[in-house]
Amino acid sequence: MAMPVSGVPTETRAAQIPAGHALARVGRAIRSSRKAATGTVLLVIFILIALFPGVIAHDSPTQDAYPPRLGPSSAHLLGTNSYGQDLFAQVIWGTRNVLIIAFTVGLLTTAIAVLIGVAAAYLGGGWDGTLSVVTDVLLVIPLFPLLIVIAAYAQGESTIVLITAITLTSWSYTARQLRSQALTLRNRDFLEAARVRGERRVYVIVMEVIPTMTSLIVASFLTNALYAVLLSSSLQFIGLGDPNTVSWGTTLYWAQNNAALQTGEPLWAIAPGFCIALLGAAFALLNYAFDEIGNPALRPVRRSKRVRGA
Amino acid sequence: MSEAHEILEVSGLSVDYVLDQHDVRAVDDVSFTVGRGEFLGIVGESGCGKSTLLFAVAQLLAPPARVAAGSVRFEGTNLVGLTDKQLSAIRWRDLSVVMQSAMNALNPVKSIGAQFKDALQAHGKPSRQEIAARSAEVLRMVGIDPVHLKSYPHQLSGGMRQRSMIAMAMLFTPDLIIMDEPTSALDVVAQRALMMQIKELQQTYGFAVIFVTHDMSLISHFSDRLMVMYAGQIDELGATRAIFDRPLHPYTQGLLEAFPSIHGPRVPLKGIPGSPPDLAAIPAGCRFHPRCPHAVERCTVTAPDLYPLDGDLVRCLRRQDGSLPEPNQEGSLSR
Amino acid sequence: MTSTELLRTEHLTRHFKIGGVLSRRTLHAVDDVSFSIGEREIVALAGESGSGKSTIARVLARVYQPTSGQVYFQGKPLSAFRSRRDGLRYASLVPMVFQDPFASMNPVFRVQHGILRILKLHRPDLPASQRLDEAARVFSVVGLGTDMLQRFPYELSGGQRQRVGFAQALAMRPKLILADEPVSMLDVSIRIGLLNLMAKLRDEEGVSVLYITHDIASARYVADRLIVMYAGQIAECGPIEDVLSTPKHPYTQLLLSAVPDPMAPLSQVADRGEPPKVVDPAPGCRFRWRCPLAIETCAQVTPVLAELAPGHDAACHVAQAGAGQVKAFS
Repeated sequence: MAMPVSGVPTETRAAQIPAGHALARVGRAIRSSRKAATGTVLLVIFILIALFPGVIAHDSPTQDAYPPRLGPSSAHLLGTNSYGQDLFAQVIWGTRNVLIIAFTVGLLTTAIAVLIGVAAAYLGGGWDGTLSVVTDVLLVIPLFPLLIVIAAYAQGESTIVLITAITLTSWSYTARQLRSQALTLRNRDFLEAARVRGERRVYVIVMEVIPTMTSLIVASFLTNALYAVLLSSSLQFIGLGDPNTVSWGTTLYWAQNNAALQTGEPLWAIAPGFCIALLGAAFALLNYAFDEIGNPALRPVRRSKRVRGA
Repeated sequence: MSEAHEILEVSGLSVDYVLDQHDVRAVDDVSFTVGRGEFLGIVGESGCGKSTLLFAVAQLLAPPARVAAGSVRFEGTNLVGLTDKQLSAIRWRDLSVVMQSAMNALNPVKSIGAQFKDALQAHGKPSRQEIAARSAEVLRMVGIDPVHLKSYPHQLSGGMRQRSMIAMAMLFTPDLIIMDEPTSALDVVAQRALMMQIKELQQTYGFAVIFVTHDMSLISHFSDRLMVMYAGQIDELGATRAIFDRPLHPYTQGLLEAFPSIHGPRVPLKGIPGSPPDLAAIPAGCRFHPRCPHAVERCTVTAPDLYPLDGDLVRCLRRQDGSLPEPNQEGSLSR
Repeated sequence: MTSTELLRTEHLTRHFKIGGVLSRRTLHAVDDVSFSIGEREIVALAGESGSGKSTIARVLARVYQPTSGQVYFQGKPLSAFRSRRDGLRYASLVPMVFQDPFASMNPVFRVQHGILRILKLHRPDLPASQRLDEAARVFSVVGLGTDMLQRFPYELSGGQRQRVGFAQALAMRPKLILADEPVSMLDVSIRIGLLNLMAKLRDEEGVSVLYITHDIASARYVADRLIVMYAGQIAECGPIEDVLSTPKHPYTQLLLSAVPDPMAPLSQVADRGEPPKVVDPAPGCRFRWRCPLAIETCAQVTPVLAELAPGHDAACHVAQAGAGQVKAFS
């Protein structure tokens, strides 16, 4: 028996994001948290760049039409590289590839993880056993070497290979997490109430369990997107991406090939590296912000200063 | 009551929760004393501030809660503002706390004996024999066989766990033990046994007790004085029997009438309509007026102060000026 | 009172296997429980935790299958259910209200979600356009405003949420509501409102209630009959006033003496025992270690329920043997 509760509705349990309010709550939450606001702004900037690269960078990234090894100037904001390509254009146009990979991997990984993790938790017994074994095996295999092997041996379009390889190796971690949370939810009264009123098991999983896990699912998406950025860039950097696609990782690859840092063209390496870090930070900040939204205990405590406004 | 007889004096204590939009006052200007060896019961519904008050007295408040005003004088020393080091000299030796749920307060991976040892070593340098002897002694005091020093909390029943919490609180025979709903997780027979145990110990060792509960009838036979809290304030404070025989505040009357009895005739009861106010949006005037069957115009405007009456303290405008009607004899438990 | 029998259990037993691979043992949660519930009556099932009362509720709600014994509803055994339709029909006639008002509603959906699902599943006769009206109707029966339908659970108080639980049960047009400690997590002043609601449902809507509780006083307030459980078995049962005024089983007497009553002088209850965990039990009365009246038979033969007064049964060798009133605890 727990402590009795009175008529008073307790303060909003922000962990449960009511579906109907979702957009309004997210909007409010983003405005109230500095981390969320910064992360959102950064991400929106990157998305806009990916959608309209031509608007921002007037030069083509692949044409080696310019004098090589120029420093930054008003004509070339980041200068040019050894091949005479405009670095600014490279970085701007490269955003599209990175974001496509990030969002696709994020979505696919999360979808697979939700399916497998939640089903394993809720179905229990033999299903849980089988699914968990599959998950655990993938978890134990070292991720990066596996990625390298897959990417090195795969034929065909490089971006798709990257997306597939990263998805296949990343879903297991998230699936474990989601399974754990689903397990804690499994005995909640409202689920039992749903079963007792006659709902089918599939319905309970899809309509009752998953909506209560939205904050973890969103966090998983953000984490996986972040790792996709880092992993794909790393793979491209060591040459396993298609060197002819325009992407931050491939720019780094060429920079490395031409010993950019040692030969006085630091921007060639630094610019894409900085973008990777910035996009990664955007995802990470949003992740922290969602943690705080979901768990009020993590919010920064205001010491007793004067209250702003009311 | 002279100074020497009071071991605790709370004056004007207010506790705020510092939240995003505004501060919420959970405890509003509470003052009371506890005499040596006295059993004070604090009752109220959830949200009335009784647990917050308890935490404030024991100096266990954590952000976003903080003491906004007032003092807590324990044996002459104001506990508010003391450093942790200064507090630890008092904690457990002179003042100890029994929490609501033993499973939350006891370490599940340590045996009972190990936890007693931790507590004993935190406040001195006892030898191994002294530790063993004292641990066994306090367990015997609460009626548990000392063989259970080796048991883990999950191996004990609910009642035994609560009793070992009390034993732990008694390690240094403090002058004051504060208890926060120690019986709420127990069944009625275990509850009764625990209450009688506490009373027995109190009478043998002479410590004072502050006992917080939502269940008035539980405490009716055990407390010397009773304090009724509502929405962060004291609504009534006086001798227990006096309050049960003649409750002065309409809220106390309503509470007493909300307990069905197993003796006497079956009567339909009403409870108290509505619910306690949201502390962020307190009604103007008397905080209880939206639910009070005797509220009149001025109750919605003027906030009453505590008023002494017949040895009781009561916060009610109509009681103050004598215009409150006496409770109907049928339908109330008072006979 | 009771004219038609609604639900009957016969020798209902539910065991659980516990322990690891090396030491398989059996927990006897419910043993040989037989009782019946009629129309338009509130039966209180009282006992301490571990007495088996919640397990019985879950067997009746078909969350668990009985290990042995039968449950009959309107004359038909539950074990005869074959199709999903049978199960749904039973679920609508015998719904359950849960103990924890804060856990029993999905926090992500609006309050109306549960009721609308129920109407969809259990009232196929009701067209979709009328579901919201029906939800509003049952809300008003339980004393909730219709604006509550659009709110989220966190905006409601504990008492209001429990009323929603009853409204959901009502929406199914039930015959019998299984109420598993519906008020124990509410403040005392709110409980009365819900107890009054249960009585109203019995009187005005003709619904029976199995009221599971550990609080005898609230049982007395609202119930017609009382079943007292101890360690998985029925110790005593009968009309509530009879059982409370002349309790025959020593355990009932112990319970009654331990209930706090501010107006009565404090009874000196010496018992400090705990109800046993019933794992692989030997025969004999399970209360004998705490019973001051235990005799030799109590350690050897498990007592069965026998009628000691009209409608009033108790399972106690001493009570069954003695002609007069046994007084184990005052």
